[in-house]
Amino acid sequence: MKISELITLLKGEIVNLDEDLEIKSGYAGDFLSFVMGNAPKDSAWFTVMSNVNVIGVAALAKVAVVVVCEGVIPENEMIKAAKKNNINLIKTNLDIYSAVQVVGKLI
Amino acid sequence: MRELSLNILDIVENSVEAKATLVNIDVIAKDNLLTITIKDNGCGMDEDFLKKVTDPFTTTRSTRKVGMGIPLFKMEAEMTGGSFKIESKKGVGTVTSASFVIDSIDRMPLGNLGESISTLLSDEIETEYRLYVNVDGKDFEFDTRELKKELDGISIQSPKVVLFVKEMIEENILEIGGSKL
Repeated sequence: MKISELITLLKGEIVNLDEDLEIKSGYAGDFLSFVMGNAPKDSAWFTVMSNVNVIGVAALAKVAVVVVCEGVIPENEMIKAAKKNNINLIKTNLDIYSAVQVVGKLI
Repeated sequence: MRELSLNILDIVENSVEAKATLVNIDVIAKDNLLTITIKDNGCGMDEDFLKKVTDPFTTTRSTRKVGMGIPLFKMEAEMTGGSFKIESKKGVGTVTSASFVIDSIDRMPLGNLGESISTLLSDEIETEYRLYVNVDGKDFEFDTRELKKELDGISIQSPKVVLFVKEMIEENILEIGGSKL
């Protein structure tokens, strides 16, 4: 699935879209040191965390896109870092469980 | 990270990278605040680097462009309602300090300090460590320089000594009431 399709399904909104990458798997979690070691490459990462460290972890884990859930608004520093480091970042009003239910079987 | 002891390990490894010969690790629990301070006499940082050191896209590593050790330590302290501070002077050393509100639901447990210290000891490096733990006025201290005097030539890296240190720190922390942390 492409990031653009994910956005449609989640009724999401682009915060930063550098490239409409193919999503190959998924990962859900907010505990950054776990995500850093466990999120698969090219995955969609669902989280409610909204600070700049999320972008650092996304870059390390090489995820395809960060999905900020539950209507959480990404902090300015986070948005700036996403743009500067070409990290795809979208947001949705769905909570993590509901977002994964919508797209889980399709990825 | 899962335990604050792992954050300590991560920060001390920065000190070792910075060629410190002595690292002081203070763990002080007082009035619902747990303060962890790591002080080294390594090469230190210049002002420009120091300003951006809590940014995950700042690192001394050449193999990758992201460093999460300090950013995560800061974030975890602030999530509890605590605070974070780092001071450094080129050629003098660095002091990293994080305070955690002990009864905050978002605070990670201190975890196994004995394990972290013994991990540091088993590395083949010459750095000396001083650990000071104080829990509501009860304290204990461990210093590799003191231990080396007792060892009479036996390597501090030998598995028996490393295990002894781990168990000794665990016992002492239990005794001063640190297991609740």
